[in-house]
Amino acid sequence: MSGDGAVTNGTESGITVTVKSFATFREVMETQLVLQLPGGATVQTLLAELTARYSGLGGMLFAAPGRLRDYVNILKNGRNVHFLAGLDTPLDDGDVIALFPPLAGG
Amino acid sequence: MQETGENERYRRQAAVVGEGGQAALARARIVIAGAGGLGSAIALYCAAAGIGQIRIVDCDTVEVSNLNRQILYRTGDVGAEKVTAAAEDLRALNPGVEVEPVRTRITAGSAASLVEGVDLVLDALDNFAARYALAHAAWQRGIPFIHGAVHGLYGQATTIIPGRSPCLRCIVPAPPPDGATPILGVTTGVIGSIQATEAIKCITGRGTLLTGRVLFWDGVRADVEILPIQGDPACPDCGGADR
Repeated sequence: MSGDGAVTNGTESGITVTVKSFATFREVMETQLVLQLPGGATVQTLLAELTARYSGLGGMLFAAPGRLRDYVNILKNGRNVHFLAGLDTPLDDGDVIALFPPLAGG
Repeated sequence: MQETGENERYRRQAAVVGEGGQAALARARIVIAGAGGLGSAIALYCAAAGIGQIRIVDCDTVEVSNLNRQILYRTGDVGAEKVTAAAEDLRALNPGVEVEPVRTRITAGSAASLVEGVDLVLDALDNFAARYALAHAAWQRGIPFIHGAVHGLYGQATTIIPGRSPCLRCIVPAPPPDGATPILGVTTGVIGSIQATEAIKCITGRGTLLTGRVLFWDGVRADVEILPIQGDPACPDCGGADR
């Protein structure tokens, strides 16, 4: 879902975020998409939306329900959510979210 | 030691880096950590470019399954120490380069001595335990660290300059699981060549480095994207430096 219209969720306005994927995440999802989410959305809201869209992504992101694999990097405008509030990190309108697993081979 | 401008060898690149740049390359001392796929591309291009002193570190011997990507070696090298075979190959390519082969495993204990006396560290490793140890030793001494890693047709690279960019722990806070990584040889060629380019730019002072940014190579789609990345403001090493 992409577009420029606001989405309402009760009394809150929606937000639009851009999601970019890298490396092996690209094997199960698009390289870039624009999503509308309800106001008050967090990283967890976003990941729920993405895992519902892309079968195969959930296993790459989560070690167990609600427990992100610790090596999965999720950047909010270049800042790793590990250093923010993790899955509870709030999202804002216009955010760019990058998802990537670090590569290790040499 | 080399004398710059002495022969035809560097004539085509002197037009790019200048006489001063070539002299800087001749004076430079680097360590290439890992003599595998990335290390092969990095070492060959750095030796060819005339980087004066190259320390190359690895603990393994050449296996036949290395040969799809580790282009420092030939079939006849199978069973040989990698660093010995690599040193021979690099000296044959450019006798003016001083090559120091070091056969050891990179650990928190050995990392400090391995970065001693070098201007630049090139990460051509295949695991994050060794990468973190080496990156930390380099950071503590103010030595630039050029990271690269690959998987299949995907690769990533970034340049870490102490005080001017986030550290490796901030860019990759937790290591992915260890294990044999699928790799197409050309992917190590792409990323290793980007790392060698960063090394040459760092030494000669040309261009813009990949500091505070990670380059992602996607060989499936022939796509490159560079992502700005910030550190952890609470990081004890870098404090989230992203200047």
